[in-house]
Amino acid sequence: MSRLNLLRKLPGYMNIWSILSLAIVILILIPNMTILFNFFTQKAENWNHIQEYILPDLLKNTGLLIVFTGILTIIIGTSLAWIVSAYEFPMKKFFKWGLILPLAIPPYIAGYTYNGILNYTGVIQTTLRNNWDIKVDQVYFNILNLPGAVFIFTLFLFPYVYTITRAFLANQSASLIENARLLGRSPVDIFFRVVLPISRGAIVGGVSLVLLEVLNDYGVVQYFGVPTFSTAIFQTWFGMNDLNSAIKLSATLMFIVFAILTLEKVLRGRKKYASTTAKARPLHPTRLIGWKAWGAFGYCLFIFLLGFLIPFVQLIDWMLLTFEKIASPEFTTLIWNSLLVSFVGALLIVLFAVIIANFSRMHQSALSKSAAKVTILGYSIPGAVIAVGISTVFIGIDSGLSRFYESTGLESRLFLSTSLVILISAYIIRFLAIGYNSIESGFDKIGNKYTEASRMLGMNMTRTFFKVDLKMIKAPLISGFLLAFIEIIKELPLTLILRPFNFGTLSTNAFKYASDEQIHEAALASIIIVVISAIAVFVFHQVLEKESN
Amino acid sequence: MYVQIKDLCFGYKNAKNLTIHHFNLDIEKGEIISILGESGSGKSTVLRLLCGLETPSKGIIKIGSETMTDERTFVLPEKRGIGMVFQDYALFPHMTVYENVQFGLKHWKRKERKNRVHEVLELVNMSSYAKRYPHELSGGQQQRIALARSLAPEPSLLLLDEPFSNLDADLQIKIRSELKEIIKQTGTTSIFVTHDREDSRAIADRIITMRDGAAHDWDSLCTTTRAEDEVRQPELVRLK
Ligand SMILES: Nc1ncnc2c1ncn2[C@@H]1O[C@H](COP(=O)(O)OP(=O)(O)O)[C@@H](O)[C@H]1O
Ligand SMILES: [Mg+2]
Repeated sequence: MSRLNLLRKLPGYMNIWSILSLAIVILILIPNMTILFNFFTQKAENWNHIQEYILPDLLKNTGLLIVFTGILTIIIGTSLAWIVSAYEFPMKKFFKWGLILPLAIPPYIAGYTYNGILNYTGVIQTTLRNNWDIKVDQVYFNILNLPGAVFIFTLFLFPYVYTITRAFLANQSASLIENARLLGRSPVDIFFRVVLPISRGAIVGGVSLVLLEVLNDYGVVQYFGVPTFSTAIFQTWFGMNDLNSAIKLSATLMFIVFAILTLEKVLRGRKKYASTTAKARPLHPTRLIGWKAWGAFGYCLFIFLLGFLIPFVQLIDWMLLTFEKIASPEFTTLIWNSLLVSFVGALLIVLFAVIIANFSRMHQSALSKSAAKVTILGYSIPGAVIAVGISTVFIGIDSGLSRFYESTGLESRLFLSTSLVILISAYIIRFLAIGYNSIESGFDKIGNKYTEASRMLGMNMTRTFFKVDLKMIKAPLISGFLLAFIEIIKELPLTLILRPFNFGTLSTNAFKYASDEQIHEAALASIIIVVISAIAVFVFHQVLEKESN
Repeated sequence: MYVQIKDLCFGYKNAKNLTIHHFNLDIEKGEIISILGESGSGKSTVLRLLCGLETPSKGIIKIGSETMTDERTFVLPEKRGIGMVFQDYALFPHMTVYENVQFGLKHWKRKERKNRVHEVLELVNMSSYAKRYPHELSGGQQQRIALARSLAPEPSLLLLDEPFSNLDADLQIKIRSELKEIIKQTGTTSIFVTHDREDSRAIADRIITMRDGAAHDWDSLCTTTRAEDEVRQPELVRLK
């Protein structure tokens, strides 16, 4: 009976959607599987040495970065979320989205900007010297160390905790908090006894995003001289030319990522943090007066200045200083390169995301559910790891095709591994989740009824998709595209490793100048990235606000 | 018999028990059948099985001379030629009334298509609204467009899922007699599902009751009765 059942259903399953979805899932899985597989099978010449002398340091640094960034982003993110959702004070409307803006500055850009502000030739020390003849001890102004990296990560990643927690508090918590207020609890009491416990899921969700970003980072830790897995992978791979050790390091890092994801699941508890119930009532903010109002204002302003305005203004200043020197035809090429890879990457991401989301929506089966899980896996895998995995795969493909290359007279034996194909495939693996989440929530919103209505009127699934479904998820398609586009423009580690020879983008250009101690020259590329991201942050905030009203 | 449903069984994937348990029903051509039962008794599920949106685990469905489902066969929903009026109408919000009604006529010749759209809009008395979008219509008007849309391709069987549940009481009484007239005019064999006994009485040629008496009492989950049986055991039909 069950075999008959399967045969009977086959025409419904065997269509272009499931085949394409399967192909995409395999594309994503293979590089990651390669790493895990090689970890257990391959020998690496330097692995013993690395295990003994380098790994302990990597683990210690990574641990310290994670713990301190985690704690600090929780403190700043939740306190700001609480103040902004529960109180009225001057300029609160502005801070509500202004406090997301630090996300527009990628940590590696923020890192060298702050170093430029604080070092001997920077604006602070110069002003002190020239105006008051004060010479300071460099120790207090050197941020190129682990605490400095924590400072940068905290300031520029806390918005993940802030936004998720704020959304939760604004929609979900009204009755609990108002009850606590009526029972005469003090605000501090309410924050610790009510707000923190009930928003645990949201906080955990936000902080795990922060930690994944920290593990993904290459730019900050490299620039600040804090050895972590990302830098070690670069070093063993390109410095020691030992890909197998790089693979072993990548696998170790993957295990850490899985540990974090598991911990997140456990800590978050069974409830999903954003489950909006139909009757959710928004929290009504209390108006603060006097010193309390100015205190709240001052706190928000302080974080906003440090997290956005100061580095932004500094970057603009440097950009004006170096504009004539930097703005050249070569720079225009960089812009085009960035736009090209971001556009193609984002386009393929939405395309793939739509295919998988549609497949998983049509067949509520174990297979389609795991397809969806694999799709969002890439986002938690650090860029350097994806680069190692995908290079291994592509080098394999190239050596398999070497006969073919010879027969066509191609010079390069590593044709695919050195082309844009590998870079764009890597972007897709890493950022598919962003497009997917956006499109899946779009499908969730419209449900299945329009699709079913269309099929009842004689349209098959594919026709239905083009005539009905696609038209109804236009907005999520566009937002998925934009989000992916921005992530690709900002991306650093994948681009650094996988770009073709002599192919630069805005992000690699900014990083290259900064690494060469030419911080001012890095400003133009940086400011373009920041402005594009900032506009996107603003637009998304507007869209979200509109939707929640 | 025009429609034959034999021994139909079905359970949702995540449910422990069968939702539909040995469901039997025969319908004559042109008949209007009402399935009456309280909320959660499986009425919508029966309709979804009939039109192919769910796959039964067991049982046979035949319409006319064609087998839709048995052990070996499963005709895809878009190939069945069944019309469905959804509970919340599911009018495509990005299309006008005209485009909505025309949607199911892709195999028709251009001119016939145009005539047919006007014909059914005439039938439901909505000709002057062809250019509007669904959100510019009242609930009752939307319902009539949904009816027109599903009648347009001349379905072999018309299914209506609680067609009045989104309307207020006054409108409901007015529309249900109208509905019966429209369907009778087209001579379409129809099954309509409701939890309201008055609705059933007003429209149906024959009433079937479906019960989910107690969640454990699966044997008596689905029974079909002739109209006279329904009169004999009215206490079985709990009204909301
Ligand atoms: N998609 C689904 N998945 C699981 N269970 C369902 C689903 N749809 C309906 N059910 C269950 O099947 C039973 C019958 O539902 P339904 O056919 O919608 O009843 P009715 O239309 O008579 O109100 C109910 O117990 C309902 O909870
Ligand atoms: Mg129902």
